[in-house]
Amino acid sequence: MATETARRRNTLRNAAIFLVLWEVIGDLRLVADGALPSPSAILIALWRDLADYPPHILATFEGAFAGFVIGNLVAVLAGILFAVSPVAARLGRGLNIALFALPPIAISPILVLTFSGMTPRIVLAAIGCYFVTMSATITGISQTDRRMLDVVRAYGGSRWKELRLVEIRAALPAILAGLRVAAPAAVLGSILAEFGGGGRFGLGAYLIGSLGRADPGRLWGIGLAATGMALIAYGICALIEARITHSTRAVNIAATAPGEERETRPVTDTLIALGSFALPFAIWWLLLKLMGTPEMIAKTPAGVVDYLFLAPSAPGAQSRLLAALAETLPMTIIGMAAGLAFAFLLALASVVRPGIVRGFMPIALVTQTMPLVALTPLLVLMLGRGPSVILWITISVTFFPAFVTLAQGLSMVTRGALDVVKAYGASPMTQLRLVSIPASLPWLFTATRLAVPRALLGVMIAEWLATGTGLGNLLNQSRGYLDYGMIWTVAVASVLLAVIFYQIVLIIERRVLRSYGMRPAD
Amino acid sequence: MNLSVNRRHFMGLMGAAASMPLMERAGFAADPFTFQASWINDAEFAGYFLAADKGYYADEGLELTYLSGGPDVIPESTIIAGKADLTLTTPDTTIKAIVDQGAPFKIIGAQYQKNPIGIVSLAKNPINEPKDLIGKTLAVPPVNVISVEAMLKISGVDRNEVNIVPYAYDPTPLIKGEIDASLDFTTNVPFTIEQAGEKATSFLLYDYGYTTFNDTVVVTEETLASKRKEIVAFLKASRMGWEENFKDPAASPPQFADSWFKGTGRSVENEIYFNTAQKPLMEAEGGIFAMSEEAIEANIKALAEVGISAKREHFDTTILEEL
Repeated sequence: MATETARRRNTLRNAAIFLVLWEVIGDLRLVADGALPSPSAILIALWRDLADYPPHILATFEGAFAGFVIGNLVAVLAGILFAVSPVAARLGRGLNIALFALPPIAISPILVLTFSGMTPRIVLAAIGCYFVTMSATITGISQTDRRMLDVVRAYGGSRWKELRLVEIRAALPAILAGLRVAAPAAVLGSILAEFGGGGRFGLGAYLIGSLGRADPGRLWGIGLAATGMALIAYGICALIEARITHSTRAVNIAATAPGEERETRPVTDTLIALGSFALPFAIWWLLLKLMGTPEMIAKTPAGVVDYLFLAPSAPGAQSRLLAALAETLPMTIIGMAAGLAFAFLLALASVVRPGIVRGFMPIALVTQTMPLVALTPLLVLMLGRGPSVILWITISVTFFPAFVTLAQGLSMVTRGALDVVKAYGASPMTQLRLVSIPASLPWLFTATRLAVPRALLGVMIAEWLATGTGLGNLLNQSRGYLDYGMIWTVAVASVLLAVIFYQIVLIIERRVLRSYGMRPAD
Repeated sequence: MNLSVNRRHFMGLMGAAASMPLMERAGFAADPFTFQASWINDAEFAGYFLAADKGYYADEGLELTYLSGGPDVIPESTIIAGKADLTLTTPDTTIKAIVDQGAPFKIIGAQYQKNPIGIVSLAKNPINEPKDLIGKTLAVPPVNVISVEAMLKISGVDRNEVNIVPYAYDPTPLIKGEIDASLDFTTNVPFTIEQAGEKATSFLLYDYGYTTFNDTVVVTEETLASKRKEIVAFLKASRMGWEENFKDPAASPPQFADSWFKGTGRSVENEIYFNTAQKPLMEAEGGIFAMSEEAIEANIKALAEVGISAKREHFDTTILEEL
């Protein structure tokens, strides 16, 4: 107990040192000639603008809440379907990965083109929730105690009875943990759509109006409000969870598709794989047909193929897309590697010097919910507009989820294995090298899969706001030129790119883990 | 305003008294009409706000729905999708869409006779003309890069001698000297710069050969045919709103502080600056929204410089004649 209090005191002390340091740096205008405001300046701006906030927070809450309810409802239903029917799970795989990997920045303009009013906000918030809750539902159901199912079966219970009486109840803690992780994602999704979507209220709308003021205090204040909303959403879900399950239980975000162990049937398998690939395209096509959006602005899969390969302007479109990809791809790979390396070092540091890392955590959390567009001036002032700004933005958006995953992996290393090397007198570094690092390999892969879409998002945001290169710039320019074909093409290309990266990581993961005799972590 | 409402009301009663409810519907119910603005609510749209508040649209028999814009809102898309009847656009993108994609647009008026976009810099490091940009860093929204390239070409400046970087809505990098100049609405950003304790200097692209309108009033050909009466009514009421607004540009923004401007995060002083600065760019001999033959010719010529082959037929001045 004494060590626990001491540890807590240490964490507080480190966080306090960090805040004081930030205050001094801000007050003395040491960073970027005062573009980094001090914490007190941010609080003063927040107080000054207090009257502005209620309608914006309310609007963001509305969008996020509707998206949270709809997204999670769909996610739980889909999770149950996938858990019950392995064929459905394999068919839905492509759609699931696409929804997990799609960069919101590329989807937002398409949503605004296709829908109107609150719908883009709700959809983006719902997409933010879907994957987490869907995976949590499957995990929960698949971890049901088999003996309880046997009881239902022995009494002649149907599949529906098994589901209703046992599996859904057993999955409840996992589902609730999923909701907790999904809640902040819903807030961020709504804010992103508000930023571009043209509504009058919402923190995102407030941000776009405030950007032109050259008032960093205001921008950080909005960021703080967004962070606050995300934390409260997380907290409320955690409370409900604790109330219902009477025990808090950490479930990290699973980033693997559900169960793979089965007999192989080449023909059926190929058909299902094809179906899984085709399903996202079919839904995309169906949705546009149902919406009745005019062909000129809403491109179906056929429309994109036509634009990119058949139309007279296709060669020009292809060369612009390839040139952009050539700029974006290398940066994505380098950025992802750097983000993971940073997360890994931080995770190792959290083993060796936990106090410092815990003090740094609250600040790291703020950077995760702070809208990047608000930070751009600061970043270009500090880092210029070359590759380094892309790299840092990418690191900042990738490292956090990767760190959380890796730290969890490192903390779960078997004591026995550590004791063996310790008994032979190994130093902490040798312990890391011989035991902890190899043991955390499955977690490294999980972290990499989490980092894939975020790295692409980071690179595209940096390209759009700071460097004017690559896919991010192409997307923004296409919006200005009413080049609808290119807007859709960039969206599709970025989703495909993220999915391909994800699949590559998955293949390497299976190879490596098999050779170590390990199973994926999820 | 009161007078006309009363008259309307009175005649409505007369209609009811004469037990002709059907006629009353047809004659007096307001026609729904939706307007998509090109940006968030600021002084750029003050005339429409005033017209709405003063009931000019209602007087013309319109029930107006006003949609605000934003970075992801492409105004032209809204009218193609049928979500709005009329919108404001930049002429280069609209005409490019007509020429390249066969988009069914007609430009029926122009809010800004002179495009307010220009090169803004700090007085202590002034960029007074295109030639001054050589060797400098200029931030431009990706959307406007072609306009800047046209202006440079017309002024005989090699585009490769100017370092063009993206502009992300925030003037901080300009104030801090990270960039030398930025492309923005000259009616707006100098205010922010002066608030930050610097002096700003600017010139319009218009004055260096890029002679285009901005916020061109655009409808689809279909709407032009089917809702001509409503379009005329909208422009009539809007013109009255703008004329009223420009009687004293400092008077109207404070009236909108708690309504139209609520929650935008911008200050009323900023809107007054904007409203005052845009007056000379909007006023025209033929009245607000006018498109003179010379001005259309100048647009066609400037757009040709960026490879957009605008034609006279893309502009339809017949609505203006009915105002």
